[in-house]
Amino acid sequence: MNLKSERRGIHVDQSELLCKKGCGYYGNPAWQGFCSKCWREEYHKARQKQIQEDWELAERLQREEEEAYASSQSTQGAQSLTFSKFEEKKTNEKTRKVTTVKKFFTASSRAGAKKALAGKLKEIQEAKAPSPSIHRQASIETDRVSKEFIEFIRTYQKPGQDIYKQCKLFLDTMSHKRDLSIEEQSECAQDFYQNVADRLQTRWKVPPEKVEKAMDEVEKYIMTRQYKYVFCPETTDDEKKDLAVQKRIRALHWVTPQMLCVPVSEEIPEVSDMVVKAITDIIEMDSKRVPRDKLACITKCSKHIFNAIKITKNEPASADDFLPTLIYIVLKGNPPRLQSNIQYITRFCNPSRLMTGEDGYYFTNLCCAVAFIEKLDAQSLNLSQEDFDRFMTGQTSPKKQESDSFSPDVCLGVKQMCKSLDLLSQLNERQERIVSEAKKLEKDLIDWTDGITKEVEDIVEKYPLEIKPKSQALAAIDSENVENDKLPPPLQPQVYAG
Amino acid sequence: MAQMVTSGTSPEGPRPSYMYKVVLLGSMSVGKSSLAYRYVKNDFRELLPTVGCSFFTQVLELDEATVKFEIWDTAGQEKYQSVCHLYYRDAHAALLVYDIANKQTFSRAKLWLEELEKKFLPDEIVIALVGNKTDLAAEREVTTEEGEDFARTKGLLFMETSAKSNHQVNDVFMAIVQELLRREKEKAPRPSPHGRSTVDLRASGARTRCCRS
Repeated sequence: MNLKSERRGIHVDQSELLCKKGCGYYGNPAWQGFCSKCWREEYHKARQKQIQEDWELAERLQREEEEAYASSQSTQGAQSLTFSKFEEKKTNEKTRKVTTVKKFFTASSRAGAKKALAGKLKEIQEAKAPSPSIHRQASIETDRVSKEFIEFIRTYQKPGQDIYKQCKLFLDTMSHKRDLSIEEQSECAQDFYQNVADRLQTRWKVPPEKVEKAMDEVEKYIMTRQYKYVFCPETTDDEKKDLAVQKRIRALHWVTPQMLCVPVSEEIPEVSDMVVKAITDIIEMDSKRVPRDKLACITKCSKHIFNAIKITKNEPASADDFLPTLIYIVLKGNPPRLQSNIQYITRFCNPSRLMTGEDGYYFTNLCCAVAFIEKLDAQSLNLSQEDFDRFMTGQTSPKKQESDSFSPDVCLGVKQMCKSLDLLSQLNERQERIVSEAKKLEKDLIDWTDGITKEVEDIVEKYPLEIKPKSQALAAIDSENVENDKLPPPLQPQVYAG
Repeated sequence: MAQMVTSGTSPEGPRPSYMYKVVLLGSMSVGKSSLAYRYVKNDFRELLPTVGCSFFTQVLELDEATVKFEIWDTAGQEKYQSVCHLYYRDAHAALLVYDIANKQTFSRAKLWLEELEKKFLPDEIVIALVGNKTDLAAEREVTTEEGEDFARTKGLLFMETSAKSNHQVNDVFMAIVQELLRREKEKAPRPSPHGRSTVDLRASGARTRCCRS
């Protein structure tokens, strides 16, 4: 009965199986009843429409935003120059978007796969929706930096004015040099730093400390503006390298502190705190726009590492301890766009800061760490090649050693739970062992009794107990006394009266 | 020779000021950090520094110049040797440290020298061979003569030190300064009459950046 109704349930008419559009092919419920070809057409149409709508919405939002920005600018008045910059940025952004949309169309007509389409569309929607706010934020930051720079430069009076003029000039020239290769742009920036520093020193006779301070501000001012053109530019393969490093670090997720000989024990809460802070700092580096700020993040990260080592070892760390720990932190944190950041700092940081000083030292260490991670092999982790290959392909992972292998962000409860689980499994193992031992003992005992029984039986068999008839023997003894009746009668007690 | 020169507080002053980058190379636990720490703080880790000891600066006020040393400690483990060239880029001087009570560290020092010779011309960098831990003389495995001979054939400065008992630590660094300054004079035999030393930074290779790779 039951079976019957089920059969009836899945029964479909031949006509229902065909494509809804009536092209004669079979349709598929996954394609809403269309055949694959018709579905693709329908889907494509719908998507195009939606893209168009999204595009219009984004444009409207942008227009509104621009208007709002323009009105706020006109109230501020003085900064009309930034507005033109802003305009330029917008057009730049727009052209980029158009190409993205184009890309999308070509991709979609070719691929057609529903999943890929949906994914791409989502990407575009996501990219479009928040972009106005990002722009606003960025321009707010640029404005803030400009304001600070102008205020700072005022304290330098005449040389300050000169620097300001130079900076404006430089930014202007750079806006015409966007087509140059990144290396040439970097050269321009380096030349500019050099010239400004020289000018301050020789022409304006500014003392070295003040030159240094001014140079920091100059770097901040120009790089905040240049950032989006020169960070991870499309003309280079920085992005590809980023992805390569990221993939590499992901593949190395199984590396433990012990393998790297990291002198840090995350068991100590203070140390694991420091490790978390160090990771946060190195990840934060990506969010900074000025090379010097990025360097400051690296330095902060390094200080936390030193503290972690100091607490663990109870003595100050040397470079022998520091580099492995930094490598471990980079592996653990997998900081975003690592190569891009390193390249950007190398190209656009004030060279005097990069080559010398503490910041330069820690930056060099980071470069070493990344270079090491790229080259890392079985030998450098003290593993056999087979083990390394197996870990890399994800076939196995090294046996987790107690809570050392926990990442520090795992909450205490989870750690406790894992420990308890460990303990339970150990107990379970022991119990099983006891049971099996007990069974063995039982068997031994049975065997023993059996053995003894058998032995006894054997002996009994071998030496059968022959019991001679008792009566006969006795008779014989008696019969031997043939002259029994010849013996005198036993003495009888006699009573003497007397 | 690549170096940064910044004029002193008064640019017209008679004393030039130099900044030198010194890298410490050598196997693990030969006492690289201790050596630098002893030199900078005049202490053998009795007072714990606020952060680690792997980067130090020291300013020397000499008669002829103000010298700022920047001492970069490096990781000595063998596995990092392939990336260590990043450390000694643009260095002015290198200390090849070995442990006199450990023959192996001496041969590693020789390997370091080969690495350095690949990257630098002899007049580009001042190299000092340092046999550390003379306080362990009883367990000595490398004789003073061995070190001396090697240094002589390779044209290196040589000294035996003890960071622990503060033996000749200062002297090593002083010898390096003297050598660096001597080369400085050689390079500019006739200083300008008012003794002002402005070196064109662009020509001095200040723009060669690190980590291009």
